[in-house]
Amino acid sequence: MEQLYIYSEKPLFALCYPQICRHCCYCNVLLVERISIRTGKLRPGDVVILRSPQTPRKIICKRLIGMEGDQVTYVVDPKNSDRCKTIVVPKGHVWVEGDYIYDSKDSRNFGAVPYGLLEGRAFWTLLPRKDFGSLAPKPKS
Amino acid sequence: MRQWMNIAKEAIARASIVVKFICLLHVTDAYLLSSSHVLGPSMLPTLNTTGDVVLVENLSHRIGKLGSGDLVLVRSPLDPKKSITKRIIAMEGDKVTFSARNHSFLSLVVPKGHVWIQGDNLYVSRDSREFGPIPYGLIQGKVFFRVSYAILIAFEFVPNIDFHCLYLFCNVGNI
Repeated sequence: MEQLYIYSEKPLFALCYPQICRHCCYCNVLLVERISIRTGKLRPGDVVILRSPQTPRKIICKRLIGMEGDQVTYVVDPKNSDRCKTIVVPKGHVWVEGDYIYDSKDSRNFGAVPYGLLEGRAFWTLLPRKDFGSLAPKPKS
Repeated sequence: MRQWMNIAKEAIARASIVVKFICLLHVTDAYLLSSSHVLGPSMLPTLNTTGDVVLVENLSHRIGKLGSGDLVLVRSPLDPKKSITKRIIAMEGDKVTFSARNHSFLSLVVPKGHVWIQGDNLYVSRDSREFGPIPYGLIQGKVFFRVSYAILIAFEFVPNIDFHCLYLFCNVGNI
């Protein structure tokens, strides 16, 4: 178990432009456990932290949408159109997406990620105080 | 009463030495140096089919000092429970030309954050020619030393493969 500082999906983009959103930068502190990754007891809907496949030094936090062999339907470009695409997650890989799909760089950009890149499963929020408790399940859109 | 307290103190002191030693072993194994038993024909003639004990150092990939020609231990993208040993042929941004199974030549640029790995024995190796370039984050360590089974006191360094052999099957160049 460990604590780590992470930025949730939406403010990660906002932090790049501090002159626009000076006050909406906040970070979440989550408790992360590594046992589920090793035993393979992950289910779609879990929030996981993983090493970014494009920037190996960065750790990103996304929600698990599909395990290997699952069929995943996703919106390709939610800002511009409603076009959906369905793929089957290849063997040894998982499909991850951010909750705020309009501003999230996830498997829709870099494809399914190998399972070996997963580092841990986040199960409890410590900060901010108003969110203290277990992580919410995926919001229904 | 005093006797029990002394015994308890001594027991705690000895236990703490053992705990410290185990912690040191764990840190060394996870972050500095570990050993691994590798087997399989995909890395002939560099590594044996029947098995080799090799030393793997886990520091180079964290500080970004890996390059082409290094033997690395990576988590398999096809089966996450397995680790495979292959050689890095190209880093991100390099152009790779390789021959596919049907003997046609394909060429691609290794994308950002990925590496191209191949086994030394190209005929029986399942590597990037099959599953594509792998993310750098899957690399677990660099193999730099082989402990020979035959004579435990004789050590040999893993040789760097001659690049002329690779040239027949794979061109590497910076774009």
